[in-house]
Amino acid sequence: MSVTVRTFTSTGEAAAVLSSDRSARYLGGGTLVMRALNEGDISISTIVRASDHALTRIDATGSRIIIGAGVTFARILAERDLGFLHAAARSIGGPAVRNMGTVGGNLFASIPYGDFTVALLALDAVVSVQGGLGSRDMPIEEFLQTRERQTGTLVLSVSFQKPASADAFRYRKIARIKPKGGAVITLAAHLPVSSGRIAGARIALGSMAPTQIRARAAERALEGRTLDAATISAATAAAVEGIAPADNALASGWYRREVVGVHLRRLLSGQE
Amino acid sequence: MLELRKDIFADERDDNLKEIGKGTQRQDMLGHVTGTSTYFDDHKLQGMLHLKVVRSTHAHARLRRIDTSEAERSAGVRRIIRGSDVPRNLNTLLSLINFGKDDEPSLAVDKVRYKGEPIVAIVADSPREAYEAMAKVRIDYEPLPAVLDVEDALKPGAPVVNDTYPKNAFIYHDVYDHQKLRFGDVERGLAAADHVLEQRYQMSPIEHAPTETNGSIAAPDTNGRYIVYTSTQALFFSLDTCAKILDVPSNTFHFIGGTVGGGFGGKVDTLTEPLSILGAMLTGRPVRYLFGREEEMQYGPPRGAERIYIKDGVMRDGRIVARKIRAYFDSGAYTRLSSYAAVKCAAHLPGPYTIPNVYGDVYCVFTNRTPATAMRGFGVTAMDFAIECQMDKLAHLVGMDPMEFRILNAYRDGDMKAHRREAKNTALIECVQVAAEKAKWPIREEFKRASSRKEGGGSRAAIPPTPRESYAPATAPSQQRTTYDRAPATSREPPSPPPPPPPRPLAPSHGAARFSSVFGTRRR
Repeated sequence: MSVTVRTFTSTGEAAAVLSSDRSARYLGGGTLVMRALNEGDISISTIVRASDHALTRIDATGSRIIIGAGVTFARILAERDLGFLHAAARSIGGPAVRNMGTVGGNLFASIPYGDFTVALLALDAVVSVQGGLGSRDMPIEEFLQTRERQTGTLVLSVSFQKPASADAFRYRKIARIKPKGGAVITLAAHLPVSSGRIAGARIALGSMAPTQIRARAAERALEGRTLDAATISAATAAAVEGIAPADNALASGWYRREVVGVHLRRLLSGQE
Repeated sequence: MLELRKDIFADERDDNLKEIGKGTQRQDMLGHVTGTSTYFDDHKLQGMLHLKVVRSTHAHARLRRIDTSEAERSAGVRRIIRGSDVPRNLNTLLSLINFGKDDEPSLAVDKVRYKGEPIVAIVADSPREAYEAMAKVRIDYEPLPAVLDVEDALKPGAPVVNDTYPKNAFIYHDVYDHQKLRFGDVERGLAAADHVLEQRYQMSPIEHAPTETNGSIAAPDTNGRYIVYTSTQALFFSLDTCAKILDVPSNTFHFIGGTVGGGFGGKVDTLTEPLSILGAMLTGRPVRYLFGREEEMQYGPPRGAERIYIKDGVMRDGRIVARKIRAYFDSGAYTRLSSYAAVKCAAHLPGPYTIPNVYGDVYCVFTNRTPATAMRGFGVTAMDFAIECQMDKLAHLVGMDPMEFRILNAYRDGDMKAHRREAKNTALIECVQVAAEKAKWPIREEFKRASSRKEGGGSRAAIPPTPRESYAPATAPSQQRTTYDRAPATSREPPSPPPPPPPRPLAPSHGAARFSSVFGTRRR
């Protein structure tokens, strides 16, 4: 069977095909789907595309930011209002990949990829998806936990509250090959501060589990405290609690467990 | 800024060189920067078919049964190629220069010896249809114990990887299971040394990672000939290899090379051409066979991994008096070019240093890993890494500056090398001096004044007495058998007679006889 490409103007039609055809995949920038096809993945027989302009829209004017699923990392890097996400966008691939790869596609990228999604997870993003029966909003954590099933839906956009200050959002990707390597660990932290104390801490980690996860124990260690040395040490010590990373070609699970606290300490204390 | 130290060896060089120091346009650069360079895969021929290979999922297994019946009925499939379709389904690359025995099939027949070994080739109208047919090939494996470590592979009782070499070591000159170098009495040298340092060095396989993966397109031409567009980095070597495997005269083929999108040694193994030509022969259509990226990374041949043991004896004043080396080259499951790497390695010992007692044993070992091949200085690079690490450690041990330590031990003109050749045109001392100067690394005046052309020769030119080793008659390990390593050994094999002495040079009738590590003794 050959591969069929179907392009729709409306997201509804595209979503209908995705939900009814198991072998259909949505093609964003093609950095994942075309690679799979070129390497002989015969589970994909239909490629679905949608030309709806809403998919490539960025709304960064208000306090709630909405990024269309088809927005590329190159466009995020060109958007001044999204400066706090530039480090995350720049950490993905080389210029060619950033010109094609999309925010929506990154949600489906498996280890050692999917770095931007780590940032979105720390920002408590909401993923807007369209299934066969209509669209709905879903917390990003729920989306990631059910990611296998989400190939049958169309991601429309992600949205999240803009961090109150530049210091409140931090991102760090640990790779052996710079600047283009796959991640050993990716870390993102959102640390909103309310009257001097952290309120609503989010620590997200990539490559520490089959999908991007939150380091809840570390979040608890930060919650309600000031970001001082003692708090940072407590969060660092809790970084691996309940987390069992796997081995891959870039690093062993043991190594990841050993170093995640080191990198979390650097992230929280603002070290380069 | 390029600076040439022409004063150092002014009288040893014809100084009519006209290129160095000038800007010269690389001949292929215009095509590369304008995106117009032609690669083999830029040929899209009418009716072209696509070949994909089903690979072993086991490191070592017997093939009980290969069922392609469902794959043959799959849409778009034009031909399934099995090992029995390959005219001469056993080859070794260097057989073209009479070195080594044929040991590697193009398509595995009864056994697979590494994960990723090709078993069945599928020729279909499109890559997609070939992939779909691949999923329908049923292979019944009987997994066998695998050996993945070079020293384990040489132990008695180890699984036999490659039946052509039942002791898991390449055999040189039909007799020797390793390359040997003996110069002086290394054991006495070690005994007399003030310090002895023994270290183990383990390298990893290294993938060439070319931007363009291995591939070729073969197309029937008039007169029963075939045109082959290929990414090979060794055009006529590949042509002759194909002629041998396909059992046709070499003028059957017109090989067209061109831009190689990254070779570095990873495109000499002629992995795709025999099958794409065979596909064209069997279907009468052009056939394209291109490695995917994962195929290239996982099953394309890497630089082999070496394990090296170095034991050095050094005096308090910094002189190295003995160097004993054992090295194991991991050839993977088949020979490819590692046999030659071991020869190069032995020829490189003990590095560019004058050491009165040198001992080297270099093995080319078969394991159930991806066959290794050439890569930039293979045979020498890893050994140099080990030797130079060792030099730093030795310098530290005797409390000497590492640069001065190298100058002290460097060979000089007139010295006798461990291969019983006089060292000529040596320049290590000058290189170290310049490196120290450029790095602003302080070295003492006497080392700044040292020269490759002074104080060499004399007693340093002598060939030391070298004890002959008494050969213990080798007993073949009873557990090692020539065919499948499954049946229990029934009786212990009789001890084999000691190996015959190395062939004596024949009395020269025309010119002098010379010894080559690859060919043995031959006349000039």
